[in-house]
Amino acid sequence: MAANLLRRKQLALKISISGVRGIVGDALTPQLVTSFAAAFGAYAGAGPILVGTDTRPSREMVEYAVIAGLQSVGCTPVDVGILPVPALQLHVRRMGAFGGICLTASHNPIEWNALKFFGPDGILLRPHEAAELTDLYHQGIYPRVGGAAVPQVRHDSSAIPRHLEAVRQALDVESIRRAGIRVAVDCCNGAASRATPTFLEGLGCKVVAIHTDPDRPFPHSPEPVPENMTDLGMAVRESGADVGFVQDADADRLAIADQNGIPLGEEVTVALAVRHATRRSPGPVVVNVSTSRMIDDVCSETGCTLYRTKVGEINVVEKMLEVGARIGGEGNGGVIAPHINPCRDSFVAMGYILEAMATERATIRDLRSAIPAYAMLKERMPARPRDVPVALRRLQAACVGATLDFTDGVKAIWPDRWLQARASNTEPIIRVIAEAPTEPEARDLVRMARDAMENQGESV
Amino acid sequence: MDLALRQLKIGVSGVRGVVGEAMTPELVVDFASAFGTYCGGGEVVIGRDTRLSSSMLHAAVLSALISTGTDVLDLGVCTTPAVSHAVRSRSAAGGISITGSHNDVRWNALKFVGPDGALLNAANTEELLDIYHASAFTLAPWQALGKRHVTAEASNAYVASILDAVDAATIRSKGLRIAVDFCNGAATELGKRFLDALGCQVIPLNDDADGSFAHLPAPSPANMRQLAALLRSVQADLGAAINVDGDRLGLVTHAGEALSEECVLPIVARHVLARREGPVVTNLSTSRMVEAVARQYGRECIRTSVGEGHVMDRALTESAALAGEGNGGVAALPHTTTFDALLSLATVLEAISVSGRSLADLAADLPAYHMRKAELPCPPTSVRRILDSFCERFREDRPDLTDGVRFDWPEAWLHVRASNTEPLVRIILEASSADDADRLFDECVTIARRAAWGHGGR
Repeated sequence: MAANLLRRKQLALKISISGVRGIVGDALTPQLVTSFAAAFGAYAGAGPILVGTDTRPSREMVEYAVIAGLQSVGCTPVDVGILPVPALQLHVRRMGAFGGICLTASHNPIEWNALKFFGPDGILLRPHEAAELTDLYHQGIYPRVGGAAVPQVRHDSSAIPRHLEAVRQALDVESIRRAGIRVAVDCCNGAASRATPTFLEGLGCKVVAIHTDPDRPFPHSPEPVPENMTDLGMAVRESGADVGFVQDADADRLAIADQNGIPLGEEVTVALAVRHATRRSPGPVVVNVSTSRMIDDVCSETGCTLYRTKVGEINVVEKMLEVGARIGGEGNGGVIAPHINPCRDSFVAMGYILEAMATERATIRDLRSAIPAYAMLKERMPARPRDVPVALRRLQAACVGATLDFTDGVKAIWPDRWLQARASNTEPIIRVIAEAPTEPEARDLVRMARDAMENQGESV
Repeated sequence: MDLALRQLKIGVSGVRGVVGEAMTPELVVDFASAFGTYCGGGEVVIGRDTRLSSSMLHAAVLSALISTGTDVLDLGVCTTPAVSHAVRSRSAAGGISITGSHNDVRWNALKFVGPDGALLNAANTEELLDIYHASAFTLAPWQALGKRHVTAEASNAYVASILDAVDAATIRSKGLRIAVDFCNGAATELGKRFLDALGCQVIPLNDDADGSFAHLPAPSPANMRQLAALLRSVQADLGAAINVDGDRLGLVTHAGEALSEECVLPIVARHVLARREGPVVTNLSTSRMVEAVARQYGRECIRTSVGEGHVMDRALTESAALAGEGNGGVAALPHTTTFDALLSLATVLEAISVSGRSLADLAADLPAYHMRKAELPCPPTSVRRILDSFCERFREDRPDLTDGVRFDWPEAWLHVRASNTEPLVRIILEASSADDADRLFDECVTIARRAAWGHGGR
């Protein structure tokens, strides 16, 4: 009984290299946000800091807290409004800001919000930089400025047009325009609701856009996975589109539906983009360790070296910059082309897919068929941080005969399948991912992993 | 002074502190969260003065109120009386005016307004503080977060309401010329519109509304030198200095004589008491001039603790005709429930227009007393000792202990108290003759100094 009374509630806050993420009305309070913004201002220095947001209903509450925190330490908040996070990242570097903060819980459900922090290069804080920021926050001593030196908020609406122009310049716009591709797109009432139709029309596409009202709530969970793509599927079929796109709320990730409205699976996005980019210009490729082995197939086909990193956009970007990769990303639909924009960018992803369709005169289904298909399952198991190491050791012990990879959590690799378990960067859960030739086989792997890890009981 | 004085004051005057020191956005977020919780979900009206730091406090207040599920009517840059009026006319649950008011640019503050448009009284402030201290803030889930609305109508309605409160036609018929020092504050735009509607020609001074202060914002003669100089070089009927958040008024005659801020209340009283029933309420530190005026009209003059919250609270319970303090803050009831510089100015203009007399004449009518004031920086621990030493010195007389210690003699009075807004002890006295005032003042300062640093100095 006593144990029940003392049971801790599920935490609604996660501070990690991905930023500060929490549930509004619970742990993500204006107090927390104000202090974190002040800490970031202290970290970045007293200069202009871009502040942008996705379309979540909590954006006003969070944005005002960020602005107050930044002003208090002498930073000039530059309000860039609602915009795709890749547009903010590009703009930080372009305008020589000291850093940027984007208010977005990305693919998380609507009750969440988060702060993502970017350095002056527009790149997410590296793990050691994020650690320094967190230290500043924990110390709680910020270099406040006096009443006569408080900087005033500035507004800047040029980030979106400049971002779209930067992506366009990297594409064979002529070929895409000539192809006159019909595109259905679901913006999830998110940050790209205005920018995406503009971008696609600029590429000569005939656009049917749904869920493009940033003042309305998300029409479905913002994660770009097949179960959230029924509206897009209908839109593709009704409009006779050649391809369908769905973005997440902050427009860094993209998932694709074929000309029949059938979701290709979010893992296919980066595979298609990598195949297209490396066929045109071969070079090293970087993805995270959780990304589908479709990428291995693509890299064998085009003869490119493949690097795999820990999960987390910044880890992939860092490796790409190190090895000079021009294409890579994450299996969750995040395509990264650092020479255009050193971050996951759904506009780059759309551009590459359309360019592939146009230059190869292929349907999206044709492009998909050029890459082998696997069954992948992604599951989540609630886990306190303290329980994770034990669970992972148990899994490791259970994976007899597999090649083990410890880049991130535990990944067990067999000749035709693999299984990975790792702690989430954003939620108190263990993510379990399995990929195998068929779905029943993938399901068996997940079940094996669950059995091995859950076996530890409640004794901790 | 090597004492570490915390530059933060919390009380019936709201939350006031030095920006970047005690006044942080986190403190503001906590207090605004407490206020949103206190208001229980009803709409809250907010406005801010023009100081640079006010935009920071404004953002923190907005975030916090929204987080408690409070809908916010954001009046932007706007005076405290306009916030008060919007609260009353919309039946809002409360208001927050973000303003360092009379303090210098280093300071800022939140003034909390109740549903009656008046600053929270002592009891309500205590309730708010309990919520703050317990951190018992309402946290709305995402679906129930507050919404921010903006409107230009509120300020129009406010201007219309104070125009209604005076004989605008008579004032208009006089075509007065007024030099006005707006102190680059929140009343700049509102004040120009208002005076224009009264047919006045305004010679503006410090009207950039950018929060830069050419002088300290309190409308005392020392801070009205610029305005007085202007009046000596231009032809105008009078000069007016309006505090940054539009609560306090200072007056300068056509000849460029800056009147003591103590004169505003009695000048307004002489005009208002002839037209309206009810007593006058003022604080224990205010000049006897208003008592004399009240006596002429057979009215009672009630004195309360210092601070608008105390004075207005009593004025509302007593259905007073007028409330005010010696700092230039005056409320002509029932048209307002907060000190209102524009309404006070309009009342003075009405007095001038109706009587056909100049401001200098009206001031000359006031009985002459001699006031002396001193401020002594002082840690809270010394306050008791200082007050005790005055009780000891005047032990034959009965002290009034309502707020610090006050002695009332036939030809003089003395009030010693801790400031509501700064770590200071204030000594204020007034006597019928200048010599008596000087003699008493010298003695009081010596008593206080000696007591402040204990026996034998520090």
